[in-house]
Amino acid sequence: MRVYLDNSATTRPSERVVQAVARSMQTAYYNPSSLYKPAMEVEKEIASFRAILSCHDHVYFTSGGTEANNIAVFGNKPQTGHNGRILCSAVEHPSVREACMAMKRHGRRVEEIPVTQEGIVDLECLETMLKEDTVLICVMHVNNETGAIQPINEMIALRDRLAPMAGIHVDGVQGFLRVPLDLSNIQSYAISAHKIHGPKGIGALITKKASKPRPFTYGGGQEEGVRSGTENTPGIAGFKEAVMAYPAEANSRMHALKITLYDRITQAIPHSRLNGPEVTDKRGAPHILNMSFTPVRSDTMLYALEGEGVYVSGGSACSSGKSKLSQTLKAMNTPRSDAECAVRFSLSKDTTREEIEYAAEAVIRQYRLLSRYVRR
Amino acid sequence: MGPLLLIRYGEIFLKGLNRPYFLKALQQNIKLAIADEGARVWLSDSRFYISGAADINACALKAAKVFGVHSVSHAFEMAKDDYQAICDKALELMRGKTGTFKVQARRSDKAFFKDSPQINAELGEHVLKRMPHLSVDVRHPDTILSVEIRDHCYLYTDVIPAVGGMPSGTNGRATLLLSGGIDSPVAGYLIAKRGVKINCVYYHSYPFTGDRVREKVINLAGKLSEYSGEVQLSVIPFTRIQTQIHEKCAEAYTTLIMRRFMMRIAAALAVKNNAQALVTGESIGQVASQTMEALVLTDALVPMPVFRPLIGLDKQEIINYAQKIGTFDISSLPYQDCCTVFTPRHPVTHPQKDHVELAERVLDTQSLIDDAIEGLEVITVNAYTKEDA
Repeated sequence: MRVYLDNSATTRPSERVVQAVARSMQTAYYNPSSLYKPAMEVEKEIASFRAILSCHDHVYFTSGGTEANNIAVFGNKPQTGHNGRILCSAVEHPSVREACMAMKRHGRRVEEIPVTQEGIVDLECLETMLKEDTVLICVMHVNNETGAIQPINEMIALRDRLAPMAGIHVDGVQGFLRVPLDLSNIQSYAISAHKIHGPKGIGALITKKASKPRPFTYGGGQEEGVRSGTENTPGIAGFKEAVMAYPAEANSRMHALKITLYDRITQAIPHSRLNGPEVTDKRGAPHILNMSFTPVRSDTMLYALEGEGVYVSGGSACSSGKSKLSQTLKAMNTPRSDAECAVRFSLSKDTTREEIEYAAEAVIRQYRLLSRYVRR
Repeated sequence: MGPLLLIRYGEIFLKGLNRPYFLKALQQNIKLAIADEGARVWLSDSRFYISGAADINACALKAAKVFGVHSVSHAFEMAKDDYQAICDKALELMRGKTGTFKVQARRSDKAFFKDSPQINAELGEHVLKRMPHLSVDVRHPDTILSVEIRDHCYLYTDVIPAVGGMPSGTNGRATLLLSGGIDSPVAGYLIAKRGVKINCVYYHSYPFTGDRVREKVINLAGKLSEYSGEVQLSVIPFTRIQTQIHEKCAEAYTTLIMRRFMMRIAAALAVKNNAQALVTGESIGQVASQTMEALVLTDALVPMPVFRPLIGLDKQEIINYAQKIGTFDISSLPYQDCCTVFTPRHPVTHPQKDHVELAERVLDTQSLIDDAIEGLEVITVNAYTKEDA
């Protein structure tokens, strides 16, 4: 049996998405900027998808979540002074964190907002950090490693009270469609298609009309000049199909399966540690479960589970080539010994109960086998 | 006539009556290294020549990696009897050059109508007259215009240093203990450079080490094969041995006992593959298992010499080598190669033979070794025949 539980890394595109991409390439391959009718049809298709994503805001298509986050950080045009402070949560994805760090190297004032042991932004700390000179607050909707849902609404309230000129950029790559969020009071929201069964290489930055970012790539002026380059029409077609086909009821089903997975494992391995909010807590996303099976190291468990046909990740897939400990777990003050043993299970709309039960059995079996061979 | 590569060999010059044996091996190795270039390789008057390559620059780089090659030049082959054409070609080669130059003639055909000093002076003058922006410096010139008078005349201005050493396969066979680390590929390179045909053994401890490490080791073997030709990599399943050691042996001795198993298995494979020696990347005192006492205790087990070419090098010196031969970036990938799970916190650094043997006695050594060898997988790695090579 093959069980794919690495859906936060990427998801399997649905058949409808594959067909939409193929159709776009085979019959609707026209450049949307051209003047003839078939090109106009393509342009209309894109426009209709922009309206679906947000009818009140700008929607800039990008090559994915990373680019969308980069545009949001580098392209941010502060309403007040140019050297205002940027706040960035301590558990941001590298595409936000590294962008902020680059700003810091260029002389901008960047500060990190600490998180609680559950990986949720510490609102008390944020309250002391927010000043009138704050121009941008970067926070992710759902943490990619722990599934922690960040308190965006509470952050908005604090911002309104203490730093009313600051924009809030939300990295929605892991939250989009899976956790509801009202976009009306944030400045921008980054999304990516391949995390919701769409194709890779396409994402978007949704921004407030008043917060148009500075141009990121220069050229033919597409995407209102923010991101020049011929539109990735097959990607957009696949993205649209993925959004339209995403079943609303999937989230409650995933959440129930996540609880089952957690319960099965903890019954057999009571010493396992949950990294992130409690599984029944509303502050946890329905599709991500992060646990440490100390003393079995992440990579050993990953390889062992792979041998059982179960695919999971240690940290986020983007950083799995690096030997460093997870920044997120570090920021949560997770003990090093537990952080080294963290495994992330991430579910999708397609995950079945049978798969979850098989995965739980595999984890338990491998834990019993491998926990005997630990550094003494 | 026309452009070709001129290849000089190094130490083979020192050989006496058996020189043809080494030259034949070198020619064969060059042919294998550039097999996909569709080129012709021949030996004439102490030089190898390559012509007709699909991509002459790529071909030069490949040839420069063949052990036994001293240097490579992009040369032009000319008829000896048309001196004017030689002068014209000299001008053509010097076009675009700036600064200082000298002409360096070498006349092995003593019947040629001008001797070397004459050629130097005349060609130098010919170039200077037409390119007055250049000047002559016979001690430290920016450009050396070389002219070799052999069966034909050869002109060139570049000399690409090659790896040197002896042709692969002319100095016996050895088995290299290859991990994914920095040291062992360098050790393999240095021994292979002396003409030793290397085969490699890698110990795989799934699930404590995964396929990424295996792939990394295959890539390291591939890098070695760019220099020495086809490499056989034996992947030995090592999990059972490691877990047995961990479960049954005194903790302080586990690393040393593991090393002893590795040496025993490598020696058995060496015998099987007709190799006469083992090669390891050990450097004295680098880690606990590489102290003098530990090395003595691993050496004592095998009925053949163990070559440790890095034994006197510091880590930085080894890294410099690894960077030079192109293995460093592969070795630096983070996937752990020798499971740190099993590393004891306080390994014994001055082990005594009777203590180690006592600690080892609880294991059924021979049966563990036999089982491991039974499960071996042999992978043939050949950089020359890779599609993208």
